[in-house]
Amino acid sequence: MGAEVAHLDLRSRRKSLLAYGVGLGLYTLVIVALYPAFKDSTSLDKIVTDSPGVAALFGISGSITSPDGWTNANLYANFLPLIVLLLTIGYGAAAVAGEEEAGRLDLVVSLPLSRRRILVEKTAVMIVQAGAVCVLTYGCMLAGRAFDLRLDAWDLATATFGVFLLAISFGCVALAIGAALGERGPALGITATIASAAYLLSSLGPVVSWLDSWRVLSPFYWAVGDNQLTSGLGWDGALVLGGITVAAVVVAMSAFERHDLRG
Amino acid sequence: MNAVIEARDLTKRYGSARGVEDLDFDVEAGAIFGFLGPNGAGKSTTIRTMLDFQRPTHGTVRLLGLDSRRDSVAVHRRTGYLPGELQLFPKLTGRDHVDAFTRARGSPRRTTAQELIERFGIELDRPVRELSKGNRQKVGLLLAFMHDPELLVLDEPTAGLDPLMQEEFQALLGEVADAGRTVFLSSHSLDEVQRVATSVALIRDGRLVVTDTIANLQQQAPVRISLGFAAPVDPDEFRHLPGVRDARADGTRLELSVVGSVDAVVKHAARHDTRQMTARPADLEDLFRRYYVTGTDAETTTPGGRAEDGS
Repeated sequence: MGAEVAHLDLRSRRKSLLAYGVGLGLYTLVIVALYPAFKDSTSLDKIVTDSPGVAALFGISGSITSPDGWTNANLYANFLPLIVLLLTIGYGAAAVAGEEEAGRLDLVVSLPLSRRRILVEKTAVMIVQAGAVCVLTYGCMLAGRAFDLRLDAWDLATATFGVFLLAISFGCVALAIGAALGERGPALGITATIASAAYLLSSLGPVVSWLDSWRVLSPFYWAVGDNQLTSGLGWDGALVLGGITVAAVVVAMSAFERHDLRG
Repeated sequence: MNAVIEARDLTKRYGSARGVEDLDFDVEAGAIFGFLGPNGAGKSTTIRTMLDFQRPTHGTVRLLGLDSRRDSVAVHRRTGYLPGELQLFPKLTGRDHVDAFTRARGSPRRTTAQELIERFGIELDRPVRELSKGNRQKVGLLLAFMHDPELLVLDEPTAGLDPLMQEEFQALLGEVADAGRTVFLSSHSLDEVQRVATSVALIRDGRLVVTDTIANLQQQAPVRISLGFAAPVDPDEFRHLPGVRDARADGTRLELSVVGSVDAVVKHAARHDTRQMTARPADLEDLFRRYYVTGTDAETTTPGGRAEDGS
């Protein structure tokens, strides 16, 4: 016996996953390739220094013409987490609740697999999807070395891993809400709302002084809000994000174990 | 005890909404158990509780001697299930489904699958979303039958199948039962149940109205006898004979509805100049129509037993 439920889910999603990968990969390559054109642009930096609040809304702080500033401003502080979160939250809400609403979960649960096993396989599918997209992005970022976008390969790797953990943690929250309620809409909505609030908290913290001390409450801060591109993902950050993930999976398991599937 | 399914006080309530109440029944090994009832009576609720998709409010079910909740994985391994509203993975082909289910069950046996594919002409190479409802249903049947399970739980299995395939499917059920395996067949069609089932339970408004073998029920079901006389006969003469439920005259013809022995009717008819006599075999429809319509005022019968008073 292998991972049949995971296999069914992955096969059903291979085209959309491929589209995600191609899109994000191309976007990353464009950002990387554009760097030489902007790296000496003082006027671009001036925009950020003149209106730090607006910049903060996009997750940008500090110089955006430095390699890490450019990468953060265009990818790691906003677009990359957004795309990977769309993937994981979308899948998390669909994996149990969406399948139940579609009436497909009965057939899967009728197999000789425990509910725990089914949930583990679905979590694995989420990890595979987010992992594939993050590894691809990392690969495209390394190609940036040819365009003067020089970032430490290890720090970049751990920062990318931080984005991966961030996406998995929120994806598992969506999975847990979906497993408890059996409804995809609320799972998607509640998780997306929490993620948006967490994003704003982390990115506005540097410019809104009273928010700054609250930033530690945001998973975004631990993944992308603390100069991870130059200093790497900290152990504390990895633990916070890993902890949220584990807690969400435990809740999801216990909820799914108890849940009455609707016919 | 040879029961493959034993339901005891099985109750499932959904808040204020109706589920099923206090179901008690046994299904013997090798039986084709027809679980009959109008739409919304609780057939799917019963099945989904039996298979641990949802948990009983109270009561228990044992399947294959195992607890439906605690041993659900072991039960599922030995069971084939066809959902009432089958939904497959739309982008995947039938073969993708078959492969995944075979591996998930750890069942290497492929000869049954191959036989079924040929027998029912199952389309396996196109994404199931491109298949007609009937062809999707065939994929569902394949998934339920292909591992030769000891117990088959089928919720409205012939929905969407054309009449020829329905017949073929009913033949398959017979073969499965002959091989000693057990079938729990939910249906709203009395015709289907009557044709294939060996015993039957009727569920109405979430409660079992009757559980018995088809043979016993047929004994209670009225036989329609039509008599043609040389001259008009007063139906009252027949109305009070033992077993006669109804007697109507139409000119020289007399239509009778008789339960049990027809001896008294035949002997009484012999006193007249009887020209014609036809009898239609016992049909459960009349019996069940009474249960369907009147529900609880009909007598409840016990397995193998005779009618009892009360509900």
